[in-house]
Amino acid sequence: MKKNNRLLFAFAIVAAAQLFVPAWMIIGHERTLATGEVFKFRTRPVDPVDYFRGRFVRIDLEPSVVRTEDPNLWTKPTKAYAVLTKDPDGYAVVSGLQSHPPRGQAAVEVMSGWTSSDDGEVMITWTNLQRYYMNEAKAPAAEAAYRKHSRDAVDSCHVTVRVRGSHAVLEQLFIDDIPIEEWLERKEDS
Amino acid sequence: MNKRAIRWLLEELPQLVAQGILTPETEARLRAHYAGVEPAKPARLAVILFSVIGALLIGAGIILILAHNWEQLPRPLRTLIAFLPLISAQTLAFWVLAKRPSSLAWREGIAALTFLMIGASISLVGQTYHISGDFARFLLTWMILGLPLIFVLDAVVPALLYLWGVTSWAGQTRWEDGGNAGYWILIAVLIIPIWRWMHNGHSQVRPILLLWGLCLSVTIGAGLTIDHVMPGFWIILYSGLFALMVLSSETWSDRSDGFWSRPLLHFGAGGALVFSFVLSFRESWYQVARGFYVWDGDSLDRQWAMPDTVIGFLIISGALVLLVTTIRRKAWFGLVFGLLPVLAILGYALSAFTESPLPAAGLFNLYLLTVGIWLLVIGVRTDRQGQMNVGLLSITALIIARFFDSDLSFLLRGLVFIALGIAFLAANLIMVRRKGGNREEK
Repeated sequence: MKKNNRLLFAFAIVAAAQLFVPAWMIIGHERTLATGEVFKFRTRPVDPVDYFRGRFVRIDLEPSVVRTEDPNLWTKPTKAYAVLTKDPDGYAVVSGLQSHPPRGQAAVEVMSGWTSSDDGEVMITWTNLQRYYMNEAKAPAAEAAYRKHSRDAVDSCHVTVRVRGSHAVLEQLFIDDIPIEEWLERKEDS
Repeated sequence: MNKRAIRWLLEELPQLVAQGILTPETEARLRAHYAGVEPAKPARLAVILFSVIGALLIGAGIILILAHNWEQLPRPLRTLIAFLPLISAQTLAFWVLAKRPSSLAWREGIAALTFLMIGASISLVGQTYHISGDFARFLLTWMILGLPLIFVLDAVVPALLYLWGVTSWAGQTRWEDGGNAGYWILIAVLIIPIWRWMHNGHSQVRPILLLWGLCLSVTIGAGLTIDHVMPGFWIILYSGLFALMVLSSETWSDRSDGFWSRPLLHFGAGGALVFSFVLSFRESWYQVARGFYVWDGDSLDRQWAMPDTVIGFLIISGALVLLVTTIRRKAWFGLVFGLLPVLAILGYALSAFTESPLPAAGLFNLYLLTVGIWLLVIGVRTDRQGQMNVGLLSITALIIARFFDSDLSFLLRGLVFIALGIAFLAANLIMVRRKGGNREEK
């Protein structure tokens, strides 16, 4: 095989590998959005900017503090899996923390922070569920409006997250049970 | 072989023939003799440079446009669009390999564009599905996917982008479980293209450019990937690193080429001088003198000790091994800088045992003064004005720093500064006159 043909063949393999990664991400996320169980999380957003991935609203999911049987396992910042159940209103409740994804249960990856051994509490950060990407012109307005709204009416903002096993995808941000994009349009019209 | 001098000679030949100093036959023989050295082609370099700049601007512009968020489009369409920039770049790259494989301008430009489009594609998918965390994992994935472009398209720009990426990844993962010692494996891969470019007989611009980037990356990466555990270890580590750079250059390459052609030597020597200046301050030795290296066993994080020890040991021992060979060859330039890790170890021991920073700081004051004077004297003797000025600069910096450390009067400080300035000017004037005199004699 001539050198040039070898190079073309090698490049074809490289190109296929480069396309495979985003394709695999898409397939995994679409499956979760199609078949995953829906959990609602209360949240409070902030608005920074990521020049690589556009303007987003930063969200802090609740609960941020959970009770565990042995908080001493989480004294250093450690990757963990928050095992999820639901309360009667459909909001996510963390029933425990595990170091590996449990089989047959919905669990989301988190990062542990400080602990309180007296209370059995561990602070967690929902590491992969912190950003809601929006149109760059609307994201600051969303944050400003949301902050004002969350001061006036607590517990009225939430997100829906689809969870399939330990794979979680942020689906939609709501204010007063209305999708944030629609909520902003109504605010602009009024 | 001094390629710059040869290029000058080849450019002078037509004029010498026109003036009757050389015959056309002599000119032909000289050109045949130096046929291996290609004259620099400014126009060709400009084309390559502009093609790369153009590709980078296009790629950056696409990333920014994609960051705008096209929420009006349905999600399936957005995921399809996520692939478009990358597929377009890959198609163009395929065309370049098929139709323009010998054009460096095309290869560098399209390699840069494709590299950026990998990041754009992954980013757009992340934006579409609100993927937040782990910038480090995104970087690593991007760099690993972009790495083969260096080899397939035989281009240096993706190598430089790759260096930036893996160095940033090392910074992001400094304190993560699992660590970032993998950085050294990630950059070791670049030795392959450097080796190939240096030995394929073509222009040396690409390996030299990549070596400069590598020197900078390694200097940053050493601090990010090592020195988690032992306070003051950075003193011995960086001394070993800069010495290793200088000694490697002295051992394996020719001293006859210019400043930019010897990145290991000049970056290493410059780094050694700056680092010695830093170590001449007492504050640099406080961590050691005050016993911070005595840790309670439970608080010492063992997961970091192994990579710190192994990688640090390899760097320092590599420098010491080359120092031994340098001593045998009696290569004085290498010896002067190669002593740096030995002095660093000695200084560390002095500070630890005396519990005072002064002996070690004093040692490095003496070292820097000696090296500065040596560079000055040798620079004057060998007509190397740059080396002479570096020596003067080292001595001046040392004196000024000690003046600020001490309680001497403004008058005395002012007089010394004036004396230093006069010394600088006088030395350079003498050097210029000597060079002018040498030209007249010739």
